[in-house]
Amino acid sequence: MSTRTSSLLLMLPALLLLAAVFLYPLLRYSWLSLHASSVLTGLVPVPNGGANWGRLLDDARFWTEAGQTLRFALCSVALELVGGLALALLLNRPLRGRGPLRALTLLPWALPTTVMALGWRWILNDPHGPLNAALRSLGGSSYGFLSTPATTWFFVVLADVWKTMPFVALLLLAGLQTIPADLEEALRLEGANRLQILRRLTLPLLVPYISLAVLFRLAQALGVFDLIQVLTGGGPAGSTESLALYAYLNAMRFLDFGYASTVMLATFLLLLVSLGGGWLLLRRAGLERTSERPA
Amino acid sequence: MSPSAGAGLELRQLCREVGDRRLLDQLDLHVAPGECVALLGPSGCGKSTTLRLVAGLDPASGGQVLLDGVDLSDQDPGERQVAMVFQSYALYPHLSVAGNLELGLKVRGMAPRERQRRIEATLELLQLGELRQRRPAQLSGGQRQRVALARALLRQPRIVLLDEPMSNLDAQLREELRPELRRLLCGHEQPVIYVTHDQQEAVGMADRIALLDAGRLQQVGSPRELSTNPANRFVASFLGRPAINLLAMEPGRQLGLRPEHLDLGDDGAVAARLLRREWWGHQQLLWLDTPWGTLRVLTAPEVPTPREPRLSWQRQHELWFDPQSGARLRP
Repeated sequence: MSTRTSSLLLMLPALLLLAAVFLYPLLRYSWLSLHASSVLTGLVPVPNGGANWGRLLDDARFWTEAGQTLRFALCSVALELVGGLALALLLNRPLRGRGPLRALTLLPWALPTTVMALGWRWILNDPHGPLNAALRSLGGSSYGFLSTPATTWFFVVLADVWKTMPFVALLLLAGLQTIPADLEEALRLEGANRLQILRRLTLPLLVPYISLAVLFRLAQALGVFDLIQVLTGGGPAGSTESLALYAYLNAMRFLDFGYASTVMLATFLLLLVSLGGGWLLLRRAGLERTSERPA
Repeated sequence: MSPSAGAGLELRQLCREVGDRRLLDQLDLHVAPGECVALLGPSGCGKSTTLRLVAGLDPASGGQVLLDGVDLSDQDPGERQVAMVFQSYALYPHLSVAGNLELGLKVRGMAPRERQRRIEATLELLQLGELRQRRPAQLSGGQRQRVALARALLRQPRIVLLDEPMSNLDAQLREELRPELRRLLCGHEQPVIYVTHDQQEAVGMADRIALLDAGRLQQVGSPRELSTNPANRFVASFLGRPAINLLAMEPGRQLGLRPEHLDLGDDGAVAARLLRREWWGHQQLLWLDTPWGTLRVLTAPEVPTPREPRLSWQRQHELWFDPQSGARLRP
């Protein structure tokens, strides 16, 4: 047997698994998106000549939510990056009890999203939640945090940042630890202050790790579902609804599988385009590449 | 005191403790302007610690670092105008050779034109012009070391510190580079401290050697002084290869005899039996069994070795030590 054949054989189980959980659904959605398949057709797929895609182009709700999803993803990833970097820099310093501190930081990330979202929903509850209790004890009155679009959106982003910032911090911390201490010392001896060291040395060397964190988080945030489903249900008035939630509603509430597949595929394409764009941007920013390190 | 008192680098009672571990114990050392002093000793003896204290990278637990009579203790590493060549060279991997040289000048706010002028001059001095666009990863070990040197010299530092700068190079290259390194570093106005664990390197590079062990200075002096007149047993056995023979000949006294100072013959004072013979460069090293233990003797290859030789030596070559403390006993 040639090496080529045997290596293909060895990869076969993994490839089959990938095909089953990734390729098959993708093909199935593509096929379904070209059919009408809803309660009106008795859930039997009937070819409808691309009518679903025409509907999508005219669907204001889809485009509003595409904008909302993108805005959510960009805001939370940007905040996570800044916060995560600060946290990573802090945890990389020689502190007393650094080990336990690192473990503690990771806690929000280890929490199941549903549990975390329920917790936030309770904190923000009007009027019984702790935040409103605190407001009242300070002399204010209760506020419906999850009743106005602006505050709701703010807290959805906050909850997401709170949960995933530790992940970004962990990734960047791993990156920081690949930077030898003597590089920083050398630059310190040359008269650089902390900020200059960060800007001229640490950040350029972190670019590969920042790229990884951003792309990873962007993909997750663009597909956000569970956090929003549990915390707001997409409300108030659909102001926090994401594309994944919209696809879910079409399938599970409206039982319109043809259109749900179309929304799903469109979301997937949007994700690919955003990630591609993000990757290109990061590549431009990281022109001073760091892939080569001294042996 | 000499008229130049106060000039150069002076370490006074310098200490460094971490927890209850004493890494450096009251080091006194003076390095004159233009002088190169090698800090020599086994790993963990405190030589790198000393360097980091002079650079200001670690805080001293006690004592002072003075440059031309001015105490540097309160100055940040960046203010001290110290150049340091790291064992790893610490080149910035994301920058080209020219970029590596430029960054330090840039953070100090030097004007671009002046930066360019200095960089060009230094690249030429170290013959690095053709490599200016290369990244550190694209350089050989020797080239990286030259870039690290260039970066250190570029800023016209007031003190030059070198931390095992050649330990990552192969032996032949090390020997070739030594004169070049001396030409570039020593004999200018800056004091130079050169840390190494390699005695050959120390002897070849330095005007004086400061030998450290377990955080304490054992002896400081010219290479010749240290090998002919060691202050104690540690100095005598650390310097010189093959190592000195130590014989418990008399109670309360230990005799040190260097292998090259022992003569073989038919009429020596000590009877011996040949155990083993090995080549030592162009000489032969003989292992001999004697009533005081195994001795090493270095002789020319043409010296005949009788099966039962007798050993002799000249009085002037005897070094006597206290067997407990290792202190030198002088007649």
